Amino acid sequence: MPPGLDALKHIVVLMMENRSFDHMLGSVPGIGGIDDAGAFSNPDTTGAPVTPQPLAEFQSQLQPDPDHHFPAVDLQIFGENTAPGRVANMQGFVKSYYNQQQNVAHSHEILYYFKQSDLPVLTTLATEFAVFNRWFASIPGPTICNRAFAHYGTSFGRVDMNLLYINEPFKSIYDRLVGAPPHTSKLYYYDTASSTMEITNLLQHQPEVFGTFDQFLSDCEHGTLPDYSFVEPNYSDHDTDTGEEVANDQHPDHNVRAGELFIASVYNAIKGNAALWANTALLIVYDEHGGIFDHVAPPACVPDQFTATANDTGTGQPFAFDRLGVRVPAILVSPWIPKGTIVSRVFDHASIPATVTKFFLGDYSPRSPRETSADVFIEPQGPAVDPARNLLSLDTMRTDCPDFE
Amino acid sequence: MVVIRVPKVPDDAYNPDRPVSGLLKMQIEHMHEAEKRLPTRYRNEIYPNAIKTEGEAAEYIRLVTEGIHEAHADAAARRAKPAKKRKGVIEIAAVADERAERPIRSKAKKRKSGKKN
Repeated sequence: MPPGLDALKHIVVLMMENRSFDHMLGSVPGIGGIDDAGAFSNPDTTGAPVTPQPLAEFQSQLQPDPDHHFPAVDLQIFGENTAPGRVANMQGFVKSYYNQQQNVAHSHEILYYFKQSDLPVLTTLATEFAVFNRWFASIPGPTICNRAFAHYGTSFGRVDMNLLYINEPFKSIYDRLVGAPPHTSKLYYYDTASSTMEITNLLQHQPEVFGTFDQFLSDCEHGTLPDYSFVEPNYSDHDTDTGEEVANDQHPDHNVRAGELFIASVYNAIKGNAALWANTALLIVYDEHGGIFDHVAPPACVPDQFTATANDTGTGQPFAFDRLGVRVPAILVSPWIPKGTIVSRVFDHASIPATVTKFFLGDYSPRSPRETSADVFIEPQGPAVDPARNLLSLDTMRTDCPDFE
Repeated sequence: MVVIRVPKVPDDAYNPDRPVSGLLKMQIEHMHEAEKRLPTRYRNEIYPNAIKTEGEAAEYIRLVTEGIHEAHADAAARRAKPAKKRKGVIEIAAVADERAERPIRSKAKKRKSGKKN
């Protein structure tokens, strides 16, 4: 086995909120961002073409919060085409944002993206390690159902924000691991005032699999990180005994720089322990695009075994979970990854439980059709596995990885 | 090794009075569902529909999250406590036989002896 995979003992996933690939990483040249978009534009409601501009601001720009519920995302992806056999064209972002405020000039701001220098943490990690330029949200819809795919490999038929009722037989990735000792797993929410966003059900029944971000930092320092960790950011501005906590999830209209600091703190915590740094892979990914533009049309995918009714989708059409959502930023960090790696295979959040299960548990059943068909971003090597699929491919560990301060 | 300086967050980014987003509203609803399933003593007195700001949402979410952890910790502690040893069927039968052999005292006698003392 390649030494990087041989050394790998921990997988950490940090899932941020509501930003698209082009919005966050589109300015980085040569990775499939704006320079790959050609003459991409969106018509506004007057019919005038609007082009992406590097004018995104850290806060106070995306007000109101861009709509990213199922019907709005349908408009964003397909323009206004509802005919059978329609083709995704990514032409409806400006029109969708216009619907919220009926302000033509304001609707153009949905096509704004950050300059590379605005986001030194995310863009540095993207260029230093492996950036996925075809990682899509699991559903063309909002947060809760998308995050569910990261935990269960399915949303159990949901395309909305309602409470997730977990249907057997698909267990969470945490259940799978803690049910197979000596494997371990933990979901770290930021603090109890931020708590977990998507899986209140899991918190209610298995609070022991949860920890706080302070515990994550301590576990990194003491080398007691579980096999698999999922880290949630802080979802709200709130007071604590130790001071003011600024929301760092990057959900509009929270400050994007606070998220940059948070991403850096997760990276630093792992890198700060030399032994942990050598045997940990960190995936940074966003749950969905938050209604913000991207130029790459999401592909079709294997249907899940659930179907959302026409009433559930709000589009007048049922949805068989046979198409992915909008493209989001995703970066894999490890000192065993060659600098400047670009991965163009298709992934979605079902790839997270698929990868973790395959790496730590091997064959596992039952899993949702979406999860079993999802590609994995780390996989044990064997005679049947193409070595080119291994991203932790270096023979020796890098010593030139960046530091953030 | 490259050292990247991460810009600080401006002070005015912090605003706990910011109105709750749709995402937080949904989290509050989910938390309220969880709270309703807790025994009464672990619930709090905040009315979720009255929550308007991020700061208020955070306080409610904190109380429910801590209530869930506390309820589970207490339940685990109760489970860990050794249960009182119960008498088996044979032991109970033996005690019953023993009682049957004892002389039965009348209530009057008992009272009498009680008065004496």
